[in-house]
Amino acid sequence: MNVIEIKNLTKTYGKSRGISDISFNVEEGEIFGFIGPNGAGKSTTIRTLLSLIYPTSGSATIFGKDCIQFAPEIKREIGYLPSEVFYYDNMKVKDLLKYSASFYKKDCSKRMKELAEIMDLDLNKKIDDLSLGNKKKVGIVQGLLHEPKLIILDEPTSGLDPLMQQKFFELLEEENKKGATILFSSHILSEVQRLCNRVAIIKEGKIVTVEKISTLKENNYKKFKVETKVPLNKEYFNLSGVNNVAVKDNTTSFLFKGDINTIMKKIAAIDITNLWIEEPDLEEIFMHYYEKEPRKL
Amino acid sequence: MNIYVKELRSHRKSLIFWCIGVFLMVVSGMAKYTGLSSSGESLNDLFTDMPKSLQVIMGIGTFDLNKASGFYGLLYIYLLLMGTIHAAMLGATILAKEERDKTSEFLFVKPVSRTKIITAKLLAAVTNIVIFNLVTWISSIEVVGKYAEGEAVNGDIAITMIGMLFLQLLFMVIGSAISALKKRPKTAGSLAAGILLLTFVLSVAIDLNESIKFLKYVTPFKYFEAKNMMYGGGFDSGFVVLTIILFAALTAVTYVFYKKRDLNV
Repeated sequence: MNVIEIKNLTKTYGKSRGISDISFNVEEGEIFGFIGPNGAGKSTTIRTLLSLIYPTSGSATIFGKDCIQFAPEIKREIGYLPSEVFYYDNMKVKDLLKYSASFYKKDCSKRMKELAEIMDLDLNKKIDDLSLGNKKKVGIVQGLLHEPKLIILDEPTSGLDPLMQQKFFELLEEENKKGATILFSSHILSEVQRLCNRVAIIKEGKIVTVEKISTLKENNYKKFKVETKVPLNKEYFNLSGVNNVAVKDNTTSFLFKGDINTIMKKIAAIDITNLWIEEPDLEEIFMHYYEKEPRKL
Repeated sequence: MNIYVKELRSHRKSLIFWCIGVFLMVVSGMAKYTGLSSSGESLNDLFTDMPKSLQVIMGIGTFDLNKASGFYGLLYIYLLLMGTIHAAMLGATILAKEERDKTSEFLFVKPVSRTKIITAKLLAAVTNIVIFNLVTWISSIEVVGKYAEGEAVNGDIAITMIGMLFLQLLFMVIGSAISALKKRPKTAGSLAAGILLLTFVLSVAIDLNESIKFLKYVTPFKYFEAKNMMYGGGFDSGFVVLTIILFAALTAVTYVFYKKRDLNV
C-alpha cells in the first residue's frame, strides 16, 4: 500500500523556484529518502503535501486521501519536522509540547517525557533561551509525541551534534519498526544511505530518478587498481565492461561494470603484488545527478 | 478551543497595557475638565473664539463644554481612536503573526482546518476587543460620573461605547482581511493602521469642508459620532446597517482568501 502518492505535482512561483511534474510513491513501512541539492524543491514538495501551499497543478494523496481536501483528518497521523524550527518564543518547552499535544485526541504526556529523555531535552527552559540544536530537539519531540503513522522530516539533522544524530536515527529506526513510514528529505548522502530503503533524487524541481539504494549502487562501476611487478600491457584488460584503463608504471587502474567473476579470473591469471577494489560511494553516484546542466547559449 | 486559549494568553500582556492606557486617557482627559472649568471663565466662550478649523480639528463641534457630558463627547474621539487602532492592529497581526514569526509550520500542520484556526483567532480578538471596550466603558462611567455633579451621563456613555464597539469590530476585520489578502502579510499591521489614520483624517476633512460631505460613507469615523448620538440622538440606522454589511463582507473575505492563500513559509 502506498502511504504517499504524488501525481504530476507542479508548483510554480516566480520564475525560477518551484517544482514541476513530480510523481513518486512512498510505500507503507519504508524509509524513503528525498534527496537533492539546496533549492531543488524538496521543501516545496513537502509543504505542498502538508497543504501549507497549494499546487499549481497535479495532486497528492496521503493514506489514500487527497492531501488538500482531507488535510485536517490526514494530519492527525502525520508528524512533521521542518527544516528550520521556530516556536512561540515566550513559551516554555513543556508548555509548547503540551500545546502541540492538545491538538491530538490522545494522551501524549508519557511519550513526551520518554522522548525528552532520549533526546536529553530540558523541558523547563524557555524556547527563547535554547540553542539551534536544542530547538531542533524540541522539533523532534514535537513531531513524534503523538506517535504518527507518517513522519515527514525536512533536513532534520542540521544543528544536531553527531551523538544526537545517532540517537535520533535510532529513534527513527525504532519508530519505523513499530510501523511508521518515514519521508526523509536531505542533502546529506551518508545519512540517507544509512537509513533509507529507497530514494527519489530531485534536481531543479524535477525528479531525476526513484531507485532502491541497493540498486543504485549495484548498477554502478567498481573501481579496480592492480599493482604488478612489471608494467602490464594496456590491452590485457580489453574486455567488455572495462573502461578508462590507465597504466602508470606498475599500477593499472580501470572501472568495471558487469559480472565480477570474469574480471577476477582475469586478474588471478597474472602475478600481482597488490589489489584495490573500491565501491564507488553514493557521493560519486549522485554527483552526476547533482551537476547542473551547462547553460545553453 | 486550545488555539483560542493560547491566543488569549499571548495577547494578555498587551491587552493589560492598552487597558491601562485607555483608563489613563479617561482620567487625564477629564482632569483637564476640572482644570479648565475651575478657572472661572466659560469654556464655551473660550472655544468659540477659536477659528472654526481649529475647533473641528479638536473635535469640539457643538458640545457644551461647561458640562461634563460635553467634555466627555470631546474626549470620546480619542478613546475611539485608541480602541480602533488596537482593534485594527489586533485583527491584522493575530493572523499574520504566524507567518511573521515563522510558526505557521507548527500550527498549520496540526489536524485542524484553516477555517477553525481563523475562527479561534477571530474569537480571541473579539474577546480582547470586548474587554477593552468594557474597561473604557466602566472607566468612563466612574470618572465622568465623578465630575458630572448630578448630570445624567451613563446613557450617553452607553450609546457611545456601543458605537465604539461597532467600529472596533469593523476595524478588526479590516485588519484581518488585509492579512488574508496580502501575499506578504508581515506589513498587514502597519497597513491597517495606515488605512485607519487615512479614514480618520478624511473624517476631519469632511467636517472642515462641507462640499465633500458625500464621502461620509467612506470613513467609518463618520458612522458613530458622539455629537450625533448623544443627547438622545441615538444611532443612525443607515450607518448601523452599513457597518454590519461591511463587517460581514470583510469577515467573508478573511475566511475565503486566507483559506485559499499559500502561506509564507
